[in-house]
Amino acid sequence: MSSFLYFIRQSLQGFRRHMSTSLGSVITIFLSLFIIGVFLVGGAVVDNIVKSVESEVSITAYIADGTSDSDIQQFEQYVRGIDGVASVSFTTKDEALESFRNMSSNSSIVDELDGENPLPASVNVELSDPQQVQEVADSIASNSLFQRICDEPSNPQNSLKYGQKTVERLFSVTNYIRYIGVALVVLLIFIALVFINNTIRLAILSRRKEIAIMRLVGASNGFIRGPFLMEGALDALIGSLLGVGCLELLRRFALPRLQDALTFLPIDVSGGMFGIIYVSLIVAGLIIGLIGSALAMRRYLKV
Amino acid sequence: MRRPAAAHSAHARQVTSQLSASLPVLDVDDIPQQTGTPVITFDRVTKIYPAQPNKPALENISLQIYPGEFVFLVGHSGSGKSTLVRLIIRELKPTSGTITIANEDLGSMRNWRVPYLRRNIGFVFQDFKLLPNKTVFENVSFALEVIGKSRHVIKTQVPEVLRLVGLQDKLNKYPDQLSGGEQQRVSIARAIVNRPPLLVCDEPTGNLDPQTSRGIMDLLERINRTGTTVLVATHDREMVDNMRRRVIALDRGHLTRDQQRGVYGFNV
Repeated sequence: MSSFLYFIRQSLQGFRRHMSTSLGSVITIFLSLFIIGVFLVGGAVVDNIVKSVESEVSITAYIADGTSDSDIQQFEQYVRGIDGVASVSFTTKDEALESFRNMSSNSSIVDELDGENPLPASVNVELSDPQQVQEVADSIASNSLFQRICDEPSNPQNSLKYGQKTVERLFSVTNYIRYIGVALVVLLIFIALVFINNTIRLAILSRRKEIAIMRLVGASNGFIRGPFLMEGALDALIGSLLGVGCLELLRRFALPRLQDALTFLPIDVSGGMFGIIYVSLIVAGLIIGLIGSALAMRRYLKV
Repeated sequence: MRRPAAAHSAHARQVTSQLSASLPVLDVDDIPQQTGTPVITFDRVTKIYPAQPNKPALENISLQIYPGEFVFLVGHSGSGKSTLVRLIIRELKPTSGTITIANEDLGSMRNWRVPYLRRNIGFVFQDFKLLPNKTVFENVSFALEVIGKSRHVIKTQVPEVLRLVGLQDKLNKYPDQLSGGEQQRVSIARAIVNRPPLLVCDEPTGNLDPQTSRGIMDLLERINRTGTTVLVATHDREMVDNMRRRVIALDRGHLTRDQQRGVYGFNV
């Protein structure tokens, strides 16, 4: 226990003695972990969005203006008969405009239309099994009645909107972001390791005399290594706490604004999720610090 | 005579007890008796540095040093004195042959045990190896601190040992405020503060004038009288001739002479 306190004292002293290099590694750790954290939070947000889109997998079939009620009813009848369809409802042009007005943050756009309504009426198809969305959509598109009454008769597929496409598009975008994120994170961790390694190397070199004497009087290897490991861990801990602090600021102040700007996307990430991210960032920081200083010791501290 | 407390404690302590148990009570004018288990045994030890494969630094050295002895190790530069010292503290391993210190074979000793070996050997060097940013007291207490001794032990042992070397008034001075002889006394105090049964000195008077050297040698002799085995590597001819202790002479890696009450014996 007393030697643990000794390690802490020594590492604090080392930190003060090599302020500039220590700060260098603190800042690199901080930036790396902060960016990793941003990507993790971003990932959680995207997951949320993907899930909400997936849960809302439904098919909207746009109907051409001026289609007779009987055609619409007949079409609804047909759709109800398809396997995997849970319910069918009809949205008139006016209702579509109203819901657009509610969803959009900028309702004045609607007022500027001067009573014109560009939105088509639609039949909304809820599915009992989201997996079947493609089959149901295909059978609607191949229906001759739908081909006649759909909003864009030249290409009936275009008059169908369903979640799968959104999800796929979302995935292709998020996958790219993820790859970039992983590459960036790996690079940053590498840089952080190099910095910690260098800081500890300097600490070891500046204490060469002390280390030589410790060895002569029989200090155990662990006792000689302890302060340096502790110093690396300390740098990393300070860096990761800074990173977590910045993430928390982001969560408090930036996320609500983002949510206000993008009302149609469910951005909100649970506090538990943030807790997990924070803890794993601090653990990751400590591991980086320990590995970095262990690497330096392997090379510069032969005991 | 074995102290019962040490008998069943950690191995390092056991080594201490074995060493001190067999220490003969020495009168200065006595010829040291070579009794008991040798503290240091070299058995046909050869050390070849990889850089000079054709010129062994030590070749076929066999010697035994017994508890309580005061031994001079003499020879010119490059004769292998330092190599021998570094083999004793296991900074180096012999190319062939075995070295036994306090019944322990250094060749088969695991690396993690080496610090515990060194706790039983005090070291004094020509260049003192003091930490310039620590006071005299701190330099000595550092040696106890890093082997995990309690504050209580430090507070009692450090002033005691500094009194022994005659520096009780300079506890709070820094090394650069001391003379060379005083600095060497600090380093001797550091070497013996843990009460090791064996004290190894590599050219302890190499940087000091003859009068100061005499003082250092007196101190080493006094330490030897308390039962500590002392091995001094030196080329201080006057010192060796005056003290008439056991002399082991090395010449180009070979042991050329080993005599009781010897003299320096090289024509310089």
